[in-house]
Amino acid sequence: ANDVSMIKSAHIGVGISGQEGLQAVLASDYSFAQFRYLQRLLLVHGRWSYFRMCKFLGYFFYKNFAFTLVHFWFGFFCGFSAQTVYDQWFITLFNIVYTSLPVLAMGIFDQDVSDQNSMDYPQLYEPGQLNLLFNKRQFFICMAHGIYTSLALFFIPYGAFYNVAGEDGQHIADYQSFAVTMATSLVIVVSVQIALDTSYWTVINHVFIWGSIATYFSILFTMHSNGIFGIFPNQFPFVGNVRHSLTQKCIWLVILLTTVASVVPVVIVRFLKMNLCPTLSDQIRQRQKAQKKARPLRSRRPQTRRSSSRRSGYAFAHQEGYGELITSGKNMRAKNPPLTSGLEKTLYNSTSWIENFCKKTTDTVSCFSQDKTVKL
Amino acid sequence: MAMNYNAKDEVDGGPQCPPGGTAKNRRPDNTAFKQQRLPAWQPILTAGTVLPTFFIIGLIFIPIGIGIFVTSNNIREIEGNVFMYYGLSNFYQNHRRYVKSRDDSQLNGDSSALLNPSKECEPYRRNEDKPIAPCGAIANSMFNDTLELFLVGNESYPTPIPLKKKGIAWWTDKNVKFRNPSGGESLKERFKGTTKPVNWVKPVYMLDSEPDNNGFINEDFIVWMRTAALPTFRKLYRLIERKSDLHPTLPAGRYYLNITYNYPVHSFDGRKRMILSTISWMGGKNPFLGIAYIAIGSISFLLGVVLLVINHKYRNSSNTADITI
Repeated sequence: ANDVSMIKSAHIGVGISGQEGLQAVLASDYSFAQFRYLQRLLLVHGRWSYFRMCKFLGYFFYKNFAFTLVHFWFGFFCGFSAQTVYDQWFITLFNIVYTSLPVLAMGIFDQDVSDQNSMDYPQLYEPGQLNLLFNKRQFFICMAHGIYTSLALFFIPYGAFYNVAGEDGQHIADYQSFAVTMATSLVIVVSVQIALDTSYWTVINHVFIWGSIATYFSILFTMHSNGIFGIFPNQFPFVGNVRHSLTQKCIWLVILLTTVASVVPVVIVRFLKMNLCPTLSDQIRQRQKAQKKARPLRSRRPQTRRSSSRRSGYAFAHQEGYGELITSGKNMRAKNPPLTSGLEKTLYNSTSWIENFCKKTTDTVSCFSQDKTVKL
Repeated sequence: MAMNYNAKDEVDGGPQCPPGGTAKNRRPDNTAFKQQRLPAWQPILTAGTVLPTFFIIGLIFIPIGIGIFVTSNNIREIEGNVFMYYGLSNFYQNHRRYVKSRDDSQLNGDSSALLNPSKECEPYRRNEDKPIAPCGAIANSMFNDTLELFLVGNESYPTPIPLKKKGIAWWTDKNVKFRNPSGGESLKERFKGTTKPVNWVKPVYMLDSEPDNNGFINEDFIVWMRTAALPTFRKLYRLIERKSDLHPTLPAGRYYLNITYNYPVHSFDGRKRMILSTISWMGGKNPFLGIAYIAIGSISFLLGVVLLVINHKYRNSSNTADITI
């Protein structure tokens, strides 16, 4: 009816499937069956989605800046001829194979606080409203981080390779060994960085991150092997390289040094921020961790979705039938027993959470009676 | 509509069945994966993990750095194998057009590529209406000075130091990547129909008298074809092997280096030099890595101390378990 156009024009249109037909559902971005699920949609899924998206974007920009700006520094030393520092296959496979899966896993599974805590602390929703996690400032920070990493990635091998010879006296400062060293350092540095960024390590995260590094090395060994050179000599000119360079101790020392030099500033900044001015999210995470240690492990029973013990207030037009719905008490759940953690919770009085929430947004909220749609 | 609502019909927590539809439950599965409850490790950067890490990094890196630095500086005594290098400066072997100017199939002995080199080798592809073997700018600019070392001993006649010219290239390069073309007994026959690179004096099949160091598998050629990464580099020229445990490889004394100057570098302001060096467990003389390790190790240790102080000072103010909003 008329609500379909309102849903379509909203930033997010939510439809509730019910007895009024499915038109609203078909036009909406999200739809569910009961109005109370809206709370979970916003506070848990919406918030997680914003959080994951911002982390994903920040990491992606950082990774690509670190990967690409190395060529800018190399330009000063190769006559500005646009010679690539990595070999062609690495450039092709870097974004597709070596680094795509870990960041995908982070974008799908990451959580900062558990869903129950997200519902208990609606203030956690504020960073999303105030655009705090990814704005111009955050973008420039990502860019600066990428620039710094590219400096470490280029100049540490540059210094180590300047006018040197290898362990057996033979050539080690050749272009191919330089490329292999830098490529390996880059893969390891960005993998360590995603390991630092991921705050919720499921099995899948482990498999993707360590599996990507393992894939990199296995593809590297394959491309530098004699067999594939025999088949395609012009496509794989790096034959014998891995055998020669990655068996030299000094190359591994360079890689280790580069990794530590790139990662240490990040760890310092995050540690200081978390300990000196922790955000609400950090505090809840620390609280979660302490709880987990204190609570003995017990088997998980399937959780029923609990909404918070708040009363929802609606504004309805006076029409017959809804009175019975409300007075039957089906919309009000019995108060849950208070949590035993001893947390101080600020209690909400009976004004609806949605009204408080609405005071912060600039868009209007309208609750309709005919179709239970909410325009935000 | 609302008039149809009946308090008895409501199923607790479940969706309403659309009228006339099946009693299908559209509730998503209550599995750990779909409800995002997978068991997970949730690490937090606490003082207990970060500070020890910094101290450990400091304590590991500083000795490594000192070890590398001391080893690098100790490369002085001329005992063991001595390596003779020629070094070039301001020579951009890493220029893009230069790096791609080669034909790896031709160098691998492919007969069709021998007579029809790849287009990447332009303008060093054909000369006098014949294909160039080996083609490309890298091969064309091969270093062709000759260096000879003599010991001026007590006798007036200087004794030449034996310089070994094999074993200077990578094993995979010499045996896998570079192969002479097949067919015919003599090497000259196998290269029939090709001509030498423009700047060379001798053709490729006359680089050396020994058959296993001639043609494309000549080790000096292979070493040159392995392009350097940076404009200042050194390439292995010859090996001076140790004679026995009793005598030093290069005894103290006056030496005389005889250079046959064929390779002009003045036009691009380049510089040439000869380097004699021994090798340690981590390669040639390179103070950078040692200094870098010491620097980063000490910075890490210092930061660990600073963070410890900061953490201690601020720990009392923010150690409450309460959540402040």
